[in-house]
Amino acid sequence: MTNKLSYDIIGLALFAAVILFGVPAFFGYDGFELNTFSRYLSLAIVSMALALSWGTAGLLNLGQAATFGMGSYAMAMHLKLKASGEGLPDFMGWNNVETLPALWVPFHSLTFTLLAGLLIPAAVGGLIAIFMFRARIAGVFVAVITLAFLVAFQLLVIEQQGFTGGQNGLTGLAQLELFGWTVDIYATSFYYLVGICLMVALTVGLYLTHSKFGLILRAIREDADRTRYFGYNVANYQTVIFCISAGLAGWAGMLYALVLEFASPTYMSVSFSLAIVIWCAVGGRESVLAAAAGAILVNLAENRLSDVFVEGWHMMLGVLFLLVVMFMPRGIYGVIVDAGRALRRKGGGDAEEPAYDASLKSKQEG
Amino acid sequence: MAQLEVRDLHVVFGGLRAVDGMTFDVEKGEILCLLGPNGAGKSTTLDLICGKTQPTGGSIRFQETEISQMMEFQRARLGVGRKFQVPSVYKELSVAENLSVARSMKPGIWHALTAPAVRRSKRMREILDLVGLADKTEEPAGNLSHGETQWLEIAMLIAQDSRLILMDEPTAGMTIQETARTADIFRSLSENHTLIVVEHDMSFVRTVADRIIVMNQGTLLAEGSIEEIEENEAVKTAYLGH
Ligand SMILES: Nc1ncnc2c1ncn2[C@@H]1O[C@H](COP(=O)(O)OP(=O)(O)OP(=O)(O)O)[C@@H](O)[C@H]1O
Ligand SMILES: [Mg+2]
Repeated sequence: MTNKLSYDIIGLALFAAVILFGVPAFFGYDGFELNTFSRYLSLAIVSMALALSWGTAGLLNLGQAATFGMGSYAMAMHLKLKASGEGLPDFMGWNNVETLPALWVPFHSLTFTLLAGLLIPAAVGGLIAIFMFRARIAGVFVAVITLAFLVAFQLLVIEQQGFTGGQNGLTGLAQLELFGWTVDIYATSFYYLVGICLMVALTVGLYLTHSKFGLILRAIREDADRTRYFGYNVANYQTVIFCISAGLAGWAGMLYALVLEFASPTYMSVSFSLAIVIWCAVGGRESVLAAAAGAILVNLAENRLSDVFVEGWHMMLGVLFLLVVMFMPRGIYGVIVDAGRALRRKGGGDAEEPAYDASLKSKQEG
Repeated sequence: MAQLEVRDLHVVFGGLRAVDGMTFDVEKGEILCLLGPNGAGKSTTLDLICGKTQPTGGSIRFQETEISQMMEFQRARLGVGRKFQVPSVYKELSVAENLSVARSMKPGIWHALTAPAVRRSKRMREILDLVGLADKTEEPAGNLSHGETQWLEIAMLIAQDSRLILMDEPTAGMTIQETARTADIFRSLSENHTLIVVEHDMSFVRTVADRIIVMNQGTLLAEGSIEEIEENEAVKTAYLGH
């Protein structure tokens, strides 16, 4: 356990070194190149958020894109208001909305926006979780219910054109002003902002997985009933991790809206939600670091390959997912862990070896 | 007043009266052994007490609180612990992690968020020494032998430190020496705990039991000391005699 903790801390340090120093140096501190990369980093946050609920607690949330989308809309609403000055956002005029809807008013405030992007997704995630987990819904039904929520929520956003910009989403956004600093998404400083956000999210994730809370979640994943007989309120534990995961997804969504300079209902699509699952599975859902790395790697590959195979990319992604599920169910993380174990065994002189020999001997004697 | 009072307890599974009007008391610090042929309803009785199964009738009072309608985790928090007939440990977790889950005096989320996954305490060391798993703390529980898995679950119940411990066939699959050691452990546990033990091994029952209840077809067939039970004609026909 303490061993695992030190590996994870080393892993986080390496990850931080690569993201905060290696990548900027590799791209020659070029803001445009780094902008693409900051998109991957924001997606890495939503992937690690899924690893918390899916990998740690065994709850496959296929609605992750919905909470991600909420975060992106929160940010985009703030920036849209800013771009509209004293007037109404342009699309509202086209939809005969004459006064600013009450829902929009508080998004004038940056503080409110930042809190809303984090807390609204968390609250919504928590609400769904309470209903599901009080009723002891588990396994594939969690996936089905969260998927149904995602589809319904996306429909709602598309239908309510006057409030949300409908199919077009929210475009023509202003630049974010963060405590007097105008955020230029093509500057290296923006890349560092997203990078630091990812590191904070990963630190939170690692803290949780190494706490007793994380241990109880792993116990629940393996045998929820057994855990109840030790006095743990399983539904509460599941609800809290769902909230945290949804909040982190919302945070990622805020950053994503900044990078792309618009929010769109496509962020809440089923295919986007499934893509998150694929990143998480490829990296390895048991580890938040691996899930984050998975998101970055798959998106890098997509960027390189989708130019070459324009139509074929989605099929390749599907095939990749199938291959991972069949041949490396624990993702890249599992491969690394197994390789590490094999190496240590080869290294010999371990405490494991003599014990193994002894048990062999006693078997031969018996 | 007895620590546990079971009154006219019933459960029906699709027409089968698995437990049919059980009434008995368990005193504080007592070791009660529950005997009976296969399918007599012993495990189901424990299921009803720990909340795995909901009764169709009757009452269960633990320390003067009616618990028969409570959720499992609430009963556990009141002080009811359970060892299952099929050893139920977390195979993917290490031995130390299994014990840490079982150590649940503070089962709330706030405490869990501020505590490390595994805290190496003196108490944990003692428990591991007691069951002979001290050199396997980092081993995933899935790698343990059947006997070791039994020990681990017993260790988990000791760590949980429930006032009432329900043990379902704790010595199944153990060697004679291991069974004797389990008997010692149970005797020392009974200083601070109450135990209900389902067991088929009669020599084990002879060593540990303060009192015995024999069940047959969901009903209480006989109750008394080991001598009384061995003399009982109904028991001989139903159980010991075959
Ligand atoms: N969940 C259930 N649904 C239906 N029938 C059940 C259920 N649990 C137990 N039974 C039935 O109830 C009866 C009593 O079972 P129980 O497991 O309590 O017996 P037992 O005394 O523990 O026997 P053994 O010594 O074999 O463990 C059996 O006939 C069993 O098939
Ligand atoms: Mg049984």
